[in-house]
Amino acid sequence: MKKKLDLPLLITLVILAFFVFVPMISAFEYSIRTPLEGGYGLKHYQWAIDNEDFFYYILRSGWLSAVTVVITLVILVPTVTWLHLSKSKLRPLIDGLSLLPLVIPVVAFAVGAQISLPEFVQNTVLELPFLYFILALPYAYRALDIGLNSIPLKTITEAARSAGASWVRTITSVIIPVIRGAVMATVALTFALSIGEYTLTVLLHWDTFPTWVTFVAQENILGAIAISMMSLVIPFVLLTAITLFTPDRSVRGRK
Amino acid sequence: MTSKDLTLTNVSRRFGNVTALDNFNLHVGVGELVALLGPSGCGKTTALRIIAGLESLDSGKVTVGEKDISKVPAHKRNMGMVFQAYSLFPNLTVVENVAFGLQMRKVSKHLRIKKAQELLELVGLPTHAQRFTHQLSGGQQQRVALARALAFSPEILLLDEPLSALDAQVRVNLREEIRRLQISLGTTTVFVTHDQEEAMSISDRVGVMSNGVLEQIDTPDVLYNAPATAFVANFVGVMNRIPADLTDGKVNIFGKNLVASKNGTETGKIVALLRPETILVKKSSSQGNAKVLTRSFLGASSVIICQTHEGSIVQSLMASLNTGDFHPGTLVDLEVTTNEVMVTNV
Repeated sequence: MKKKLDLPLLITLVILAFFVFVPMISAFEYSIRTPLEGGYGLKHYQWAIDNEDFFYYILRSGWLSAVTVVITLVILVPTVTWLHLSKSKLRPLIDGLSLLPLVIPVVAFAVGAQISLPEFVQNTVLELPFLYFILALPYAYRALDIGLNSIPLKTITEAARSAGASWVRTITSVIIPVIRGAVMATVALTFALSIGEYTLTVLLHWDTFPTWVTFVAQENILGAIAISMMSLVIPFVLLTAITLFTPDRSVRGRK
Repeated sequence: MTSKDLTLTNVSRRFGNVTALDNFNLHVGVGELVALLGPSGCGKTTALRIIAGLESLDSGKVTVGEKDISKVPAHKRNMGMVFQAYSLFPNLTVVENVAFGLQMRKVSKHLRIKKAQELLELVGLPTHAQRFTHQLSGGQQQRVALARALAFSPEILLLDEPLSALDAQVRVNLREEIRRLQISLGTTTVFVTHDQEEAMSISDRVGVMSNGVLEQIDTPDVLYNAPATAFVANFVGVMNRIPADLTDGKVNIFGKNLVASKNGTETGKIVALLRPETILVKKSSSQGNAKVLTRSFLGASSVIICQTHEGSIVQSLMASLNTGDFHPGTLVDLEVTTNEVMVTNV
């Protein structure tokens, strides 16, 4: 079943790899320089790992991003499913509205969105996941929208309902597994966007991993690069693990 | 769970300005298979979806056994449903699909797999349990859908044009299999279709629908031989429509006086309704009363389409024997073999 090598595809991949990997390799090369001693070494990595704040902030950003992912799935999957099933006339409008976070200036957004949040999250660090959710909305919404468009949603939903599945069971046991690819994309996009978010976090005076790295860079630029390199690896390993260990039962070869 | 009877009482449903169901009444006895037949837009699918709980009703009620289920949500109705489009869950294997309803009813894994396997044997797919649905043909997918609908022993089985997307041969096989299973399990069944052959061949009774009302519901024989309304007469089977005059309850067709079996308000100019098998084509020695347009040889029987000298097109179905000479253009005599005729307004 091995396909013949596709030359244009290969060229595209090489160019793409060049753009993606050259900056990363350069950054890595830079991060292992030891200017005082000359040559290369891992002392900046050692410095980062020895720094207690490193784990504190990466865990903090990690759980904030995880909460964002949960909020996104809980709010968005039923909403987009409902939009698809109801054939609502509002759908084009909501499609458009979901793009607004891309064009609203972050400053206006930070203040406006914050005061519109439920009171129990205002001025606690929990306001960040809600705001990250809104920032990730244009991407998450589209990923789910495409996923739901690609399946016979109405029939599958009705089949599940008539077989005895409540709405919650229909969404968790049928719809999410069927559009697993789109859900994974939503999770990855939302997580990546949340863990790297900087502007909004700074505006609201919170400290997360990205703001801490910027702070560190002021005193130890090589250390900050070493930290960034490690922070690249962690989500990469995490996402690869999710992809590998979720059994692949997605739609294959279906017309 | 044993099968129950199903009653719809004065059910109405409107979509905007369109009345999909208008004071619709239906009773399906325990273990009975009733088909709802009608042209698209007649309300048959709406009726089925209301029974399933997938559509709400504006007024009236749906009763299963003694219980009014009009307000019960779909997932608590205990009805198995097979859809027109392939509705299997693509992320589950065949056996998991069949076991889905039992899983929702919290049956233990061991028991539900066992039961699903039994159902797969019943629908003739015992070796396909571990496959994914996209590895199956259309007919096999509908068999799995049928097994899934029956696995949790539903009180009512609902079939929404389950054969429409299949090839002709598969269609005939599967409909007979549905009937065989339905009889052996004794499941009360409502079967929606626009294909009258399908409806007539496997149903205990057929309900013919038009514009949201049930025109007539009866056994296939009665529907065909004694249609209650002109709509049913025209919709079920092929019907010749021959313009004629009604005088004193009699109609003269091709020189024979026939008793009009429906003496409604029609008088004067009417249209006589005659089945093709009641029309006999005979060779004429002179001008005759019609000429042959086409002859289609179907094996034992042939369909001969003629045009009367007055201009009406008349279709005859007769034994193929001695029809070989009816070439297009041949002048013939048409005769009616019955003594009664149904009439309708022009």
